[in-house]
Amino acid sequence: MSLAKPAMRGLLGKRLRFHLPIAFALSLVAAAAFKYGVTEPRKQAYADFYKQYDATKEFNNMREAGIFQSVRPTGE
Amino acid sequence: MAHPSQLGFQDAASPVMEELLHFHDHALMIVLLISTLVLYIIVAMVSTKLTNKYILDSQEIEIVWTVLPAVILILIALPSLRILYLMDEINDPHLTIKAMGHQWYWSYEYTDYEDLGFDSYMVPTQDLVPGQFRLLETDHRMVVPVESPIRVLVSAEDVLHSWAVPSLGVKMDAVPGRLNQTAFIASRPGVFYGQCSEICGANHSFMPIVVEAVPLEHFEKWSTMMLEDA
Repeated sequence: MSLAKPAMRGLLGKRLRFHLPIAFALSLVAAAAFKYGVTEPRKQAYADFYKQYDATKEFNNMREAGIFQSVRPTGE
Repeated sequence: MAHPSQLGFQDAASPVMEELLHFHDHALMIVLLISTLVLYIIVAMVSTKLTNKYILDSQEIEIVWTVLPAVILILIALPSLRILYLMDEINDPHLTIKAMGHQWYWSYEYTDYEDLGFDSYMVPTQDLVPGQFRLLETDHRMVVPVESPIRVLVSAEDVLHSWAVPSLGVKMDAVPGRLNQTAFIASRPGVFYGQCSEICGANHSFMPIVVEAVPLEHFEKWSTMMLEDA
């Protein structure tokens, strides 16, 4: 019983046909991971911050902490 | 201000800076996409002894690696141009301030109504009080009303300087003999730091910028007090 002739041509092409789709898929996964792990949470964080933001309250807190030069804490 | 070992941008304090942040995330996502693809291909090609010495051409792959980069460039260009035009919108400022660069301090002039002007020198390290930031604090801060469009006219009296406040998304070169215009809106009250961004001599690193955004009534009291002190 003789052995089957091994593949002797097209080996690089076969490797490329195997690896290139994986390369493209992996890069799309990396981009999607960055988009949904970093970009969207950051946009949401800014939206959430300003949704409940009370500028007057924050200003007064900062004023009492003494960080402003133009406005001193009440009582000073 | 930036904190030690910070890699990313400072928290945005103006709408333009928020847009710049989101655009940067978008561009970085595309960079990550391309880098992952290229790195995978490099590793795949370097880790084999297989070669093809007889490839002459391939129309299909040429089309792919021409069209795909063109599409990626368009995906970057469209948001980029959007922000560019957003930054140039006619914004009808409530206040105009002149920021003049000197060796080695900034001076600010509020001349819309009265003649208010003052110099802004860095606080030397030995004069800092606890809680202040080294090389960032100034004796007089540029005070602005919060949530108001502010126009800043930037120029210089001697050599090139650059007026920059990263958290407001502002940087404008100060060129002697030239008046450059930039604008910003401080979205929230606070204190925002920047540093001179164009080499201008021995003390280039020691002429910082501090912008203080406060509600309008406090800004008015401050400007009245500054005029009285002058």
